[in-house]
Amino acid sequence: MTKRTVIFGFIGTQLDSGGGGRRWEKWRPTVALTQQADLLVHRIELFHSGRHTHLLDQLRADIGKVSPETQVRPVELAIEDPWDFGQVYAALHDHARGYAFRPEEEEYWVHITTGTHVAQICLFLMVEARYIPGVLLQTAPPKKQQENQPGTYALIDLDLSRYDIIARRFAREHADAVSLLKSGIATRNARFNKMIGEIEQVALKSRAPMLLMGPTGAGKSFLARRVFDLKKVRHQLAGNFVEVNCATLRGEGAGSALFGHVKGAFTGAASERAGLLRSADKGLLFLDEIGELGLDEQAMLLKAVEEKRFLPMGGDREVGSDFQLIAGTNRDLRVEVARGRFREDLYARVNLWTYELPGLAQRAEDIAPNIDYLLARHSEEAGAQARFNTEARERYLRFAASAEAPWRGNFRDLSASITRMATLAEGGRIGDAQVTGEIERLRAQWAIEAGEPRAPADLEALLGAPALEQIDLFDQMQLANVISVCRAERNLSQAGRRLFAASRRAKESANDADRLRKYLSRFGLDWKAVTA
Amino acid sequence: MIELDGSLGEGGGQILRSALSLAMVTGKPFRISRIRAGRPRPGLLRQHLTAVQAAAAVCGGTVQGAELGSVALEFTPGPVRAGDYSFAVGSAGSCTLVLQTVLPALLQASAPSTLELSGGTHNPFAPPAHFLQRSFLPLLARMGAQVDIEIVRCGFYPAGGGALRVRVSPCAALAPLELMQRGALVRLHAESLVAGVPAQVARRELAAVQAALGLADEALAVRELPQNQGPGNALLITCEHEHLSEMVSAFGERGVSAEKVAAQAVRKMQAYMQSGAAVGEHLADQLLLPLALAGSGSFATTAPSQHTLTNAEVIARFLPVDFRFEALPAGATVVRALTRP
Repeated sequence: MTKRTVIFGFIGTQLDSGGGGRRWEKWRPTVALTQQADLLVHRIELFHSGRHTHLLDQLRADIGKVSPETQVRPVELAIEDPWDFGQVYAALHDHARGYAFRPEEEEYWVHITTGTHVAQICLFLMVEARYIPGVLLQTAPPKKQQENQPGTYALIDLDLSRYDIIARRFAREHADAVSLLKSGIATRNARFNKMIGEIEQVALKSRAPMLLMGPTGAGKSFLARRVFDLKKVRHQLAGNFVEVNCATLRGEGAGSALFGHVKGAFTGAASERAGLLRSADKGLLFLDEIGELGLDEQAMLLKAVEEKRFLPMGGDREVGSDFQLIAGTNRDLRVEVARGRFREDLYARVNLWTYELPGLAQRAEDIAPNIDYLLARHSEEAGAQARFNTEARERYLRFAASAEAPWRGNFRDLSASITRMATLAEGGRIGDAQVTGEIERLRAQWAIEAGEPRAPADLEALLGAPALEQIDLFDQMQLANVISVCRAERNLSQAGRRLFAASRRAKESANDADRLRKYLSRFGLDWKAVTA
Repeated sequence: MIELDGSLGEGGGQILRSALSLAMVTGKPFRISRIRAGRPRPGLLRQHLTAVQAAAAVCGGTVQGAELGSVALEFTPGPVRAGDYSFAVGSAGSCTLVLQTVLPALLQASAPSTLELSGGTHNPFAPPAHFLQRSFLPLLARMGAQVDIEIVRCGFYPAGGGALRVRVSPCAALAPLELMQRGALVRLHAESLVAGVPAQVARRELAAVQAALGLADEALAVRELPQNQGPGNALLITCEHEHLSEMVSAFGERGVSAEKVAAQAVRKMQAYMQSGAAVGEHLADQLLLPLALAGSGSFATTAPSQHTLTNAEVIARFLPVDFRFEALPAGATVVRALTRP
């Protein structure tokens, strides 16, 4: 069963008009629609302002004659001035919201040939926003030699995915945007690429906050800036990119730095300060390490995000700033919320589009394209090319992708490493010597970082005071450090590999995990107990 | 199931309309495919659907594929029901084509019927209502069928709005018709219908006809119709012979001079007069089906058109009747209906 065709359109006070018999020699768009030999219009919802009753009656009578199957339903809209955009839009919007659409049985065509340009624009918007679930309909008069014919009609479907040529264009634009987000780095990690694909869509379609999670150096700040660049290229943002690491904002000055202050707000406030939020007006504010923000600042930030207004320090008048927020964190904010260190409402606000950026070690396949990117960037900055020898490059890559390279500082480490090698390159060639030296340097760096206990293990809590008394201080020192390493690694195998790296290199193979498990069990401990 | 190829011959709507008429009178279902194949807008148009719907209404038939743009259609007729029907035909169609489609069936019904048809009554590419009234129906009456057409209002393209009232008396069996001679000329006259068009246009047309055909003043008539039946202009030239009346027509159009319209009609009438055949091209086309229903009969006409030949083929698919076309030396043709043994 084919659907019934229903047309929405304005009465054409000029085009549809015409008195006497001569009107039949004139092309009248609304009447012509019902004269098409291959089109049967079941119903016309004819919009009018109530001021053209004579024309309306004539159109109904004429359509009744040429197309008795067509029902004409006059729809009076409260429009005083058909050139007033607000009025016309409001009237159409009200009508569309109250209309009983039956898309299962009826097909809706929105005729835009009649009516003012404002009416056309409003009808277009109605269809584009799907308030009217249909397609646009355009009619054209007959050519000179075919007078008396009803002319032609054409449908315009705003569902752009139906047009191959447009779809190809979008695919290209999408690829460009994704490439921009990745700075042209041809990353291969599937999870990362999928995430970037989604961020591209969200960035272009939404102004809601984004939350980027991931270890330090994973590229949160870099990505936030690329999102800004993308939105700027697409004219979605007019302001600036403002970036701040909240860890640097602790204490007295935090509120002032973020929200600004008025003159004389406190001792030393000799002049007014706009603050970072206002600098980011119409732009993008990237708050890295948002979990470090104090509770007071969190409350003010929430208000600023929700209302786009806030009170500068010491001020009694609110100021406005319309910025898009991207927050970064390397902590699990849910844990911070549970511990009462992060406001739940702010978390709910920023936790809409949350992306976890994997560390470099989890994206081993992306190391090579990132090296190429970093080398190119170095060349640009230093004004001199630096290239790997083939063998040196392979060796470096092998090391970089191995378990030996935890890439604790992620891209920050990789960037520094490449900069060092490129700087030390002889004649623009990075050879075996530079790679050997660099690998040593990285190993040493990571060994030091690993050796530093992040927080001293509390052996008393773990073992209980009586048991601890039975252990020599010598062994206590070792155990505390071993536990620190365990807590820094993801699992028993990785911790074992790090702790016994030297003997592992000496021997063909070793069961590091087993060795660690045995060591811990000597103290009545296991992986679960030490990492809990 | 009778299978028809809709692209046969001229491939227009005529095959479909003939098939509908034949299905109703024979009770045989048919399937037609490739409807209007090869046309810029293939498939069914609104005017075809109107005929299909009218046919279905008159016999309670069932239809599949009766949709705009459909290139195949299946029609299963039911028993023809006499009654009072009214069909509103938009200006895209023509009242007379719808009438032509359902008339044979209503003749075979058991009781009288009336039809109220509204829409175009004088359209190009369709027989004008006056032609049916003056030329076709008298011959049908001679075969025993009583049909009256009252032209309530005229309707022209594109405004439409005409109305016909038709009374059909049943006729169980049509009598054969023999029409080999037109007989002596009784009267030749021309009339110009104008509605919402200046009478001057009609007078100029008639003056041109008069000059070309040498008619007396009394044989010319301007018929001014009420403004609201227009706009429209039809020029009709009727020639009454002893055994039948023929009519040709031409339609006024914007941008076409009155003299040009007159010349078109005159050319057609002169062609008919000079042919010496009893029956003109369009009337021949109309007579095939009644002749086939009568089972036999013959008439002399001009060389048969593609339309007529296709029509004869379609009729032969439904009825046990063949048409024989015998060319005569003077360019005329004798059409003879023969029942297959």
